[in-house]
Amino acid sequence: MKTLLLIFLVILQLSAYQKGDLISEEMAAHLGLQKDKLYVIDFFASWCGSCKKEIPLICALDNTKIDHIKVEIIGIDVDQKVDEGIAFQKRLKEEHNLNFRIINDPQNLIISDFAPLGMPTLYYLKDRKVLKVLTGAVDNIDKQILNDLKSME
Amino acid sequence: MKQLIPLSLITLVLLSGCVQEVKPWEKETLAKETMEPAGGNTLARKFQEHIYFSKEASKGGGGVAGGGCGCN
Repeated sequence: MKTLLLIFLVILQLSAYQKGDLISEEMAAHLGLQKDKLYVIDFFASWCGSCKKEIPLICALDNTKIDHIKVEIIGIDVDQKVDEGIAFQKRLKEEHNLNFRIINDPQNLIISDFAPLGMPTLYYLKDRKVLKVLTGAVDNIDKQILNDLKSME
Repeated sequence: MKQLIPLSLITLVLLSGCVQEVKPWEKETLAKETMEPAGGNTLARKFQEHIYFSKEASKGGGGVAGGGCGCN
C-alpha cells in the first residue's frame, strides 16, 4: 500500500515542473519571456483565499523594490470566468496599485502545462529554466521573494 | 467468499474509470461558500456553529483554509 502511494506521489511530481526543468519554447514565447531576464511567475485566482492574501504583498513589492531591467513579475490569472478575474484585477489595481503584467488563462492552458500541486504557486524562471518553485500559501511572501531574488542574481 | 475478492477488485478497477482528478486550479466551484455544509444557509450555519462551540467549548476552525485550493 505504501509503495502504491509512493508511486502515485512520484507520478504526481513528475507531471509538475520542478527546479531545474526547462519550459517549452512555445510556452516561453506565449508568456513573452526574454533571455537573461529573471521572471517571477505567480499563478492566482479570485476564488483562492491564499492568493488574495499573497497578491497585495507582491503588488507592494513590485512597486518599490524590484529592478525592472533584470526582473519581471508576471501574474497568471487562472479564473475560468474571465469577468470575475477582470473584476478581481480591477480591485487589485484600485486598492493595491497592481502594476505588473497579468495574463488571463481562462482555458487553463498555461497552468495545465506547469501543473502545480496547489494554488497559489510561484515560479522563478530564467532562460526557460525553473530556478525555484513555491507552492501554497507562504508567510511573508514579499520577504521570501526578495531573499530569493538576492540569492539568484 | 473466494470469488467475491476478485469480483470486488474487478468492480473497483472498472469504477476507477469514472474517477477524474480535480486539479488545484479547477476548484473554483468547490471553493464556493455553498459547497460547505449549510454554507448557503446563514441561519443553519450559525445554528450548527452554535451547537459546535457549545459542545466543544471552542469556536472557529470549521472552514476550509485557502478556499479549497489545496494550498494548506
